[in-house]
Amino acid sequence: MEYIINTTLYILKGTVVSLKIYAVTAIFSVPLAIFFALGKVSKHKTLKIVLEAYTWIFRGTPLLLQLFFAYYGLPILGITMTPFMAAALTFIVNYAAYLTEIFRAGIESIDKGQYEAAHSLGMNYVQTMRRVVIPQAIRRVLPPTCNEAITLVKDTALVAAIGMADLLRSAKEVLTRDFTIIPFVIAALFYLAMSWVIVIVFKKIEQKYTVY
Amino acid sequence: MIDAIDIVKKFDDFTVLDGVSLNVKKGEIISVIGPSGSGKSTLLRCLNKIEEIDEGVIRIDGDQLSKHNCSKLGMVFQNFNLFPHMSAIENVMEAPVIVKKMGKKEARELALRMLSDVGLQDKADAYPGQLSGGQKQRVAIARALAMKPEIILFDEPTSALDPELVGEVLGVIKKLAAEHMTMVIVTHEMAFAREISDRVIFMDKGKIVEEGTPKDMFENPDHPRVQAFLKRMMQD
Repeated sequence: MEYIINTTLYILKGTVVSLKIYAVTAIFSVPLAIFFALGKVSKHKTLKIVLEAYTWIFRGTPLLLQLFFAYYGLPILGITMTPFMAAALTFIVNYAAYLTEIFRAGIESIDKGQYEAAHSLGMNYVQTMRRVVIPQAIRRVLPPTCNEAITLVKDTALVAAIGMADLLRSAKEVLTRDFTIIPFVIAALFYLAMSWVIVIVFKKIEQKYTVY
Repeated sequence: MIDAIDIVKKFDDFTVLDGVSLNVKKGEIISVIGPSGSGKSTLLRCLNKIEEIDEGVIRIDGDQLSKHNCSKLGMVFQNFNLFPHMSAIENVMEAPVIVKKMGKKEARELALRMLSDVGLQDKADAYPGQLSGGQKQRVAIARALAMKPEIILFDEPTSALDPELVGEVLGVIKKLAAEHMTMVIVTHEMAFAREISDRVIFMDKGKIVEEGTPKDMFENPDHPRVQAFLKRMMQD
């Protein structure tokens, strides 16, 4: 029993690392993606081409490759970062790419009659987006965003590849040392607990939005 | 009040409005009738700048139509276009608060007044999804009125409604007519157009074919296309 508690505490330290990556990614990628999505639905041609290239590159290459590029590749170009910075940057930019496409689709799914009504009431583009389009788009993008949020929990395990002592890596260290399966079971439970919290949070948000 | 001269509107190669001129005086009620695809709705949509015109001039109170004065024209749509994420009263309050920067409390009082004018004060907190088509359209009218427009444009306001709900919406429009609201109404309700209008305009193939008083237009129209159209409509 004591062994399980000690192992759990050790893995918990790794969990904190994973959670940090998770929190930073969630906090920065969402507003960034909203911003990019608005750029994609705008009439600005150059901006649209740049954003198209961006989502193509970051959705089209492995996250692990991007992580390696940030941590091992950028120093060659003279940019050195701590593992945490490299991981946070990569995850933010990568997840923002996926979320950009989700939010863009959400915004484009709003009926053009909504824009016409807003226009006929004298609302400008920013007011229309902020008050009419985005609030409705949010409701529609909640389910796919929840998927991304759950995927992110598991993707944080990739940071072990650049030497960070995250949840999975901590578990594996214990396993290598003690030759027992228990740390993996504990790690799995931690991942499941985190996913469960995310599902609950999204359910609450969805309930809030289903008043209409 | 509205002075539209030689309006031309094209969608790609298709000319929807082919030199339409329209003058609307203060307090005047104009019905625009005609077959589907004749450009009636497009004319309204050009008047409040939902669509940009390709040629011609539109003036509102003598000033060129621009994004600054097009909100003098309110619009009521065939499909209501209420904001589904806002309750009825929030729909009505939205533009006064956001566009006119009116205080929330004042806007709420205004919105309640507007809703009671259309007979829906008890539905203030209902969401559009909980309302019937007729109720939705009445909220949409209240929403347009809350911005105190000088003119209201109605784009087939009853075409999406079940027959038994048409009356309540027409009733609200008649009430506005009694208050001498300036209105341009695109409609397929011939009896209504005849009863309410000061002037009836018949459009076909992007042109105004004939216009006149309801009596002249409905009793002895000159143009054969108007005669044929009215005959077809009266059979229904």
